[in-house]
Amino acid sequence: MTATAEPEVGKARLRKEDARLITGRTRWTDNITLPGMLHLAVLRSPMAHARIVSIDTSAARDMPGVVAVLTATDLDPDGEIGMPCAWPITPDMRHPRRPVLAATEVNFAGEGVAVVAARSAAEAEDALEHIEVEYEDLPVVLDMEAALAEGAPLVHEDLGTNRSALWVFDSGEAGTGGDVEQAISDAEVKLTRRFRQQRLIPAFMEPRSTVVDPTGPQLTVWSSTQIPHILRVMTAMTLGVPEHKLRVVAPDVGGGFGGKIAVLPEEMMAALVARKLGKPVKWTESRSDAMLTAHHGRDQIQDITISATRDGMVTGLKVDLLADMGAYLGLVGPGVPLLGAFMFNAIYKIPAYRFACTNVFTNKTLTDAYRGAGRPEATFAIERMMDELAAELGMDPLELREKNWIRHDEFPFTTVAGLTYDSGNYEAATERAKQLFDYDGLRREQQARRASNDPVQLGIGISTYTEMCGLAPSRVLGSLAYGAGGWESASIRMLPTGKVEVVTGSSAHGQGHETAWSQIVADQLGVPFEDIEVLHGDTQFSPKGMDTYGSRSLAVGGTALVLAARRVLDKAKPVAAHMLECSVDDMEFTGGKFTVQGTDQSVGIQDVALAVFAAHDLPDGYEASLDSDATFDPENFSYPHGTHLCATEVDTETGRVSIRSYVCVDDVGKVVNPLIVEGQIHGGLAQGIAQALYEEAVHDESGTLTTGTFADYYLPSAADMPTFVTDRTETPSTTNPLGVKGVGEAGTIASTPAVVNSVIDAVRHMGVDDIEMPCSPMRVWQAIQGGAR
Amino acid sequence: MEFLRPVSLGEALEMKAARPEAVPIAGGTDVMVELNFDHRRPAALLDLTRVAELAEWSRDDSVVTFGAALPYTRLINELGTDLPGLAIASRTVGSPQIRNRGTVGGNLGAASPAGDTHPVLLASDAVVEVASARGTRSIPASEFYLGVKRNALEPDELITSIRLPKATGPQQFAKVGTRNAMVIAVCSFAISLHPNESRAGAAIGSAAPTPRRVRQAEDFLTEVLDWESPQALPDSAKRRFGELVASAAEPIDDVRGSAAYRKHALAVLARRALGWAWDAYREGERSCA
Ligand SMILES: Cc1cc2nc3c(=O)[nH]c(=O)nc-3n(C[C@H](O)[C@H](O)[C@H](O)COP(=O)(O)OP(=O)(O)OC[C@H]3O[C@@H](n4cnc5c(N)ncnc54)[C@H](O)[C@@H]3O)c2cc1C
Repeated sequence: MTATAEPEVGKARLRKEDARLITGRTRWTDNITLPGMLHLAVLRSPMAHARIVSIDTSAARDMPGVVAVLTATDLDPDGEIGMPCAWPITPDMRHPRRPVLAATEVNFAGEGVAVVAARSAAEAEDALEHIEVEYEDLPVVLDMEAALAEGAPLVHEDLGTNRSALWVFDSGEAGTGGDVEQAISDAEVKLTRRFRQQRLIPAFMEPRSTVVDPTGPQLTVWSSTQIPHILRVMTAMTLGVPEHKLRVVAPDVGGGFGGKIAVLPEEMMAALVARKLGKPVKWTESRSDAMLTAHHGRDQIQDITISATRDGMVTGLKVDLLADMGAYLGLVGPGVPLLGAFMFNAIYKIPAYRFACTNVFTNKTLTDAYRGAGRPEATFAIERMMDELAAELGMDPLELREKNWIRHDEFPFTTVAGLTYDSGNYEAATERAKQLFDYDGLRREQQARRASNDPVQLGIGISTYTEMCGLAPSRVLGSLAYGAGGWESASIRMLPTGKVEVVTGSSAHGQGHETAWSQIVADQLGVPFEDIEVLHGDTQFSPKGMDTYGSRSLAVGGTALVLAARRVLDKAKPVAAHMLECSVDDMEFTGGKFTVQGTDQSVGIQDVALAVFAAHDLPDGYEASLDSDATFDPENFSYPHGTHLCATEVDTETGRVSIRSYVCVDDVGKVVNPLIVEGQIHGGLAQGIAQALYEEAVHDESGTLTTGTFADYYLPSAADMPTFVTDRTETPSTTNPLGVKGVGEAGTIASTPAVVNSVIDAVRHMGVDDIEMPCSPMRVWQAIQGGAR
Repeated sequence: MEFLRPVSLGEALEMKAARPEAVPIAGGTDVMVELNFDHRRPAALLDLTRVAELAEWSRDDSVVTFGAALPYTRLINELGTDLPGLAIASRTVGSPQIRNRGTVGGNLGAASPAGDTHPVLLASDAVVEVASARGTRSIPASEFYLGVKRNALEPDELITSIRLPKATGPQQFAKVGTRNAMVIAVCSFAISLHPNESRAGAAIGSAAPTPRRVRQAEDFLTEVLDWESPQALPDSAKRRFGELVASAAEPIDDVRGSAAYRKHALAVLARRALGWAWDAYREGERSCA
């Protein structure tokens, strides 16, 4: 057997999982069919807030194919089951019980009230309309400020308030910086702005689906989820199914973007129905239900004050947030703003900082993690403020940033928010981006267009970002009252024929783990890429894991893999020495072979695997296994960064924005597979640009989602995207042995402010200093009208 | 629900006469959406995709006639040179998948104020040919749209074809939407120059209960355009034209845009489209001369 010659890490390999994912010939949850399986359909409330007076299921029961029609009374007669929230951000956080099905009251349009189990999906769906529900209107509260006002209608009457929690970080109190009020009152210049992070819909490609089989020794749950391991623990705790009697499988999952970091009422419902009826059941949602009921993202109001000296040194930053939780708390929803709390100060040396966030209930779909979760909001606010401050001071916005950012020779750097950034080189990324973008040339063109009063104006937008990812050091999570740790696990199993099974606790849903993980293990063990199989997402063979979100899989899970591989080699070494009849100390390992130093006598790792399997001739007392596990808990986050530059052309007569060029230079540390990194960046950019220009979830005054289809919710298509110019600088992370940083969220975090800054820059001379997202043609035009006034 | 599948126009008309409540389905890109969202629940669907006559076209020296069920993709590829305005509008409909299925007959049948082909049909003097077991009628486009999603068809009638003159001058279509593809118009505008008649046709979409011609603006062009020795149009004339177009609009505020924005944007679209069309005409005259 030959070992791989050139390193696998760094190769632009095509993804080995793509053929099956792209053709769909794979195990999507909805492809699973079990003998005797019933299909579930959920009746959803059309009202955003109402009391349930009565539910009559009798007519639906008589519909063809219907086996059962169940309500909260049937599934949870004592009203004891509540959906879990794993992030009680304050000890006094208000956390209303979210039932599996609404029993007495519905609190958002789309909340489930009854479930039909039928022999086919169509029969289940058809029976829904024969369920009679009588509702009694309750007043609806949708706007966060209205919800906090004195005498506002209450989403949950018994809480006595719509405020869920207030969470504060103050650098003066924490000892990480000065007193922000002082800094602001002493300031030569100060600016206050309000930004609105509109509500977004994660819009993963595969709608959610769950199959539950109660017929085996364990209750088996397949689900289109990002978090099979967390789902197992949470299902055990929520339903009281003993954890060892529960197996959770995330088969291939068609995207998530944070939208599948959830424990769904429908998952609990399916388990309850399956147990009750003693039959396997399947629930697969429609696209419309996914738009309406899968948790939404963002939805914050940000009040920001920044203070600075006349010559452009930032002296203080104060952030007041309102975060819309929707009608209930999601699994990690309350903590999403906290993931931004440490990032408003971004790459800058800001001496004083205060962050306060109020989480608010409204009669809308709940919000929770969505690509970037907290960090895009923070990055948007600070990068918008830096542009506004530059305009106020009459400085070039890049120059202002440069004046305030952490220089490459100042790392490691402990920020005013208390994080220690291990590494970075903002100068290098910015310099490269400026070159690729032709920054100076575009500024000249901008001047010329302004001078000639061109109806189409040119804008240049900047975003220099960093983010904390690679979630997360377990101790930090503990200090933030998060309900779990942030480690990841890996196992490597050496098979007799020398092939390798790698089990990872992270749970890919489109990211390309199978390819990247194979590349890492191929280098570590010196076995061919093709000889490695990566397994994930089934608690039966992968019992330990923290799953995939927060750009954590490679930095944390990839590291666990390296540690496990090192253990395999440690175990193989004495066997190799024994086979070569030499001392362990004389062995060296390269390219998949153990060699006796200074000789050409060697044995390959794959041959060692066979010898260990046979176990005929092993060193005395040797435990016959090379298989190894490892768990890695990072000591710090990883901090990717970069500089994104966006040129937009803004038609000042129609308000239409088109992106003329987009350059990003990202620093994600060491790159395992440049193609995968490129893909993550492209997708991230598209999603971030979409927040800036296209997407918004809108509710009418009754609380009905009016953007519940892709005809009204403007996901971008390829026709809306420019050709991205991407490049990288490489400053290895020091927080993990691979030197890698996260990349899954970087594009989304960086791009939104780059685009909005660009649009505003194009029309700033017309008196515009803000445009609410998404910057649709109408909004841009209205802003110009307002500015001209 | 019954699914009726006639194989000839005659059979289709008989079925429609017998079952006037049957909903015709061509590309289905409107009908299937309505069924999916349960906006309507017809007792029967009348499938037109097997009726060969409805997907054919013919042309002579001056007129093009194409079947109601000819998909946009074919219309663009096969008739784009003769009907440039309709081709431009068709290219903005939905996505390639939608254009492979969707048809002008369906756009007319749905009669949405936002339908993209309507302004072009109005500006280009199209005639909608309809038929029933009782006989046939020719309805000028300008008499076809009766209200929001209401048209001049009788319950037993089908649209058979659309007839319109080959372009004798430049034609333009412009629309405002939030993204570049798959977008329902916030407002739209079409202009067709008819040099042989020394006049221009112009119409708006998504800016009133029905698509409509903008006669005052057309009359204005008749006054100011010199077809014999075409001159560059002064900005003031283009602006005036834009204002007249906008003043014909009766838009509403809705999720896609405010009335004020629609009026404003229409004026801009009209001014620009006139500029492009007129410049192209002058260019053509110069190169002929
Ligand atoms: C994703 C998507 C994007 C879209 N984008 C656009 C867009 O950008 N611009 C736009 O204008 N439209 C758009 N539409 C709407 C639709 O595609 C068009 O209106 C199209 O022209 C409909 O044609 P069809 O053949 O599919 O009609 P169908 O759905 O088959 O029928 C539409 C209506 O016309 C009736 N009908 C059809 N044929 C006849 C006939 N021969 N005689 C009498 N009645 C008939 C039907 O009964 C029905 O009421 C979009 C639709 C979708 C789903």
